[in-house]
Amino acid sequence: MHRFPALALLILGLWSLKAQAHAHLIQATPADGGVLTQAPPSFTLLFNEPARLTALSIQKDGEEPQKIGGLAAAASARWVIAAPKLTPGSYTLSYRVVSDDSHIMSGNVKFRLREP
Amino acid sequence: MSPDLLWTPVRTLALAGVFQAAGAAFFLLLFGPWLARAGPPIRRLGRYAALTGLLLLAAQQWLQGARMADGYEGLFDPALQRLAWGGSGGRAALLQIFGLALLVCGLARAGRAAAGAASSGALIAACAFALTGHTSDHAQRALLAPMLCVHLVLVSFWFGALLPLAICSRHEARSDAVALLRGFSGVAGWLVPAIGVAGLAMALILVPAPSGWRAAYGLLLLAKLGAFALLLLPAAWNRWCAVPAMAASDARTVPMALRRSIAIEYLLMIAVLAITAVMTGFYSP
Repeated sequence: MHRFPALALLILGLWSLKAQAHAHLIQATPADGGVLTQAPPSFTLLFNEPARLTALSIQKDGEEPQKIGGLAAAASARWVIAAPKLTPGSYTLSYRVVSDDSHIMSGNVKFRLREP
Repeated sequence: MSPDLLWTPVRTLALAGVFQAAGAAFFLLLFGPWLARAGPPIRRLGRYAALTGLLLLAAQQWLQGARMADGYEGLFDPALQRLAWGGSGGRAALLQIFGLALLVCGLARAGRAAAGAASSGALIAACAFALTGHTSDHAQRALLAPMLCVHLVLVSFWFGALLPLAICSRHEARSDAVALLRGFSGVAGWLVPAIGVAGLAMALILVPAPSGWRAAYGLLLLAKLGAFALLLLPAAWNRWCAVPAMAASDARTVPMALRRSIAIEYLLMIAVLAITAVMTGFYSP
């Protein structure tokens, strides 16, 4: 009977050989709280380590969020995504990334686009 | 309803299923020889809990795809489903499903070999949580992983023993039920404080800076510690008031107050599991 728990511990030990990590946003362009006078051609998100960007959407105040597709499948620490055409207003850019340890991190970046 | 909102109760109930099944197996391993009539219903409870936990783990992992996409289209996105099942969270869930399947097979029959298989499955299902999440990437992983495993096994034992104890108090002769409740209280008296010690030690390693305790993760950890302290009240009342009163009484049935106290303890533990689901699923130390 004592062989069973030993086998269970061995299975767990072998399964846990790879250490995992979490990703955090360290920089965004446009910056959080930023005020722009020109519509950004792209959004840049920089994380502390490679992560997979699985969802990105932009929402103008008072409107429905708009999903931004065409996200790459591989993990990367720096994501540059072409921005849709933006008109003056306040925006929230929402993202979701998946870390190596499968943890889903979400966050958002708020910015305002002024009339030029 | 957003995928995050749906995922939270599914995750909470999956945790409850895993701990209930594992705890029933540990209970049978420790107290099986004491049971005259309660063995079969406790094995049945363990099997049903394991099957429920297994299905909920699969549902929780499937929903991860929707959480990743921030929409239910993620349920049917092969790339996101590969990511959900192929990452460490998916592998841990698969290992837990394997552990629970082993537990179901072990609890299908009586005997020492079957109890050994069931408790191995319980050990795998409980400890596989340590293969993913916040402790898995920490610099102090060598210290955190064994602490988390001890914490998880003891939580399984405590949480998973409550319903078996209720079953014993219903099926066993009163004197045997009292002996079992006393036996459990004796073991739990040593093991339950260890849950708090291991939890607090892990919390201090994961959140070393005072500012971390004011962030969402730290506040949820404090809520968990508070709920744990609250849980000790019905547990202490059971041990020092209800069980001695039951032993002294010549009533044939188990006092309603004891059943109510066990029910309160169980519900408080579900609340702790809900806090754990939110804390580990949405926040980081």
